[in-house]
Amino acid sequence: MNGNDERRQQLIKIGSAAVFLAIVAVAVLIVVSGSDNGGGDASNVKGAPEVNRLLGGIPQKGLVLGESSAKVALVEFGDLQCPVCKGYSEEVLPAVIESRVRSGEATIEFRNYTIIGPESIPAGAAAIAAGKQGRGWEFVELFYRNQGTEDSGYVTDGFLKAVAEGAGVPDIAQWEKDRKDKAVVSEVEETTAEARNIGFEGTPSFAVEGPGTKGLEPIGTPRSVSALEEAISKAR
Amino acid sequence: MKLPREGTLRGIATFLATFGIGVATYITIADSGGGAPVCVAGGHGCQTVAESSYSHVFGVNIAVFGIVAYVLLLGCALPRGDVARMGGFLIALGGFGYSLYLTYLEVFKIEAICQWCVASAVLMTLLFAANATRMLGYVGREP
Repeated sequence: MNGNDERRQQLIKIGSAAVFLAIVAVAVLIVVSGSDNGGGDASNVKGAPEVNRLLGGIPQKGLVLGESSAKVALVEFGDLQCPVCKGYSEEVLPAVIESRVRSGEATIEFRNYTIIGPESIPAGAAAIAAGKQGRGWEFVELFYRNQGTEDSGYVTDGFLKAVAEGAGVPDIAQWEKDRKDKAVVSEVEETTAEARNIGFEGTPSFAVEGPGTKGLEPIGTPRSVSALEEAISKAR
Repeated sequence: MKLPREGTLRGIATFLATFGIGVATYITIADSGGGAPVCVAGGHGCQTVAESSYSHVFGVNIAVFGIVAYVLLLGCALPRGDVARMGGFLIALGGFGYSLYLTYLEVFKIEAICQWCVASAVLMTLLFAANATRMLGYVGREP
């Protein structure tokens, strides 16, 4: 065997070792991302593609979804732990978002009205913190789609982080800081007090504001898509 | 089995890497504008993938890493010699492995397929084939 052949054999060995390492690396990546089924990982969170399809392309600021130039503002006072709100989020709001928000006619804002229990507060604060990074509505919608039993202890740091990651919050470290910020937690309490002052007794409760209303007018809990759309039309 | 000439393999790699730079650059530009690549055949796959938490690593769109990989592969396809042969093989191997992982994420985690990501994965697979053939056939031999 001459020098060139030896060198060739040596380089092919290096190449083979690299292939082996690459196979191991890919396998480890897949196993690690596939086995992270405990709290705190986006792999626990279902429905992100559906939520992305629902909200994709619609501007949002904080927890307000829709064009800032929209004439009508629809406000949902909801509790992320509330199963009725979850039903609304999955069955009623998508059609309204598609017909009235995407078209630029109305905005829809989520405001926390924490009536279920203590776990609703960190959940609501986490949604506000996600809103600071432009992913508030993804967080709210994804939380609803992965909602557990009321105050059963499922709203852990890990669960919230999983929802935030699934919602595509870009800076998780900043989100962690924001959601624990006193001002953010206070905001949850303030919107809850606001809902009580309006006279709402349950969630979700809606209010609407536009050229056709005198300030923020409560409309209660409309039972259908058409009822919500009608309220928006009247507020124009 | 008769191997293709090394010049032919380098030509193929040059073409594929150049094409890959175009694809990865398009994805990067679409992302930097706050949007997502447009799926040629319609659908929401590209948007869903672009908006997933997997589309960025340390705040950087993974397509940027794609541009870097394709540029390096182009840099290895042009010159002769063992450094280019081994370099091209190792970079293509890494790119191919990462593409496999990303395809797994699309199918099983994000549950959406982006045609541009598939295009890049196909290009990276072909580049790996070309560079592996080049390395196995010609490494250690005269340029």
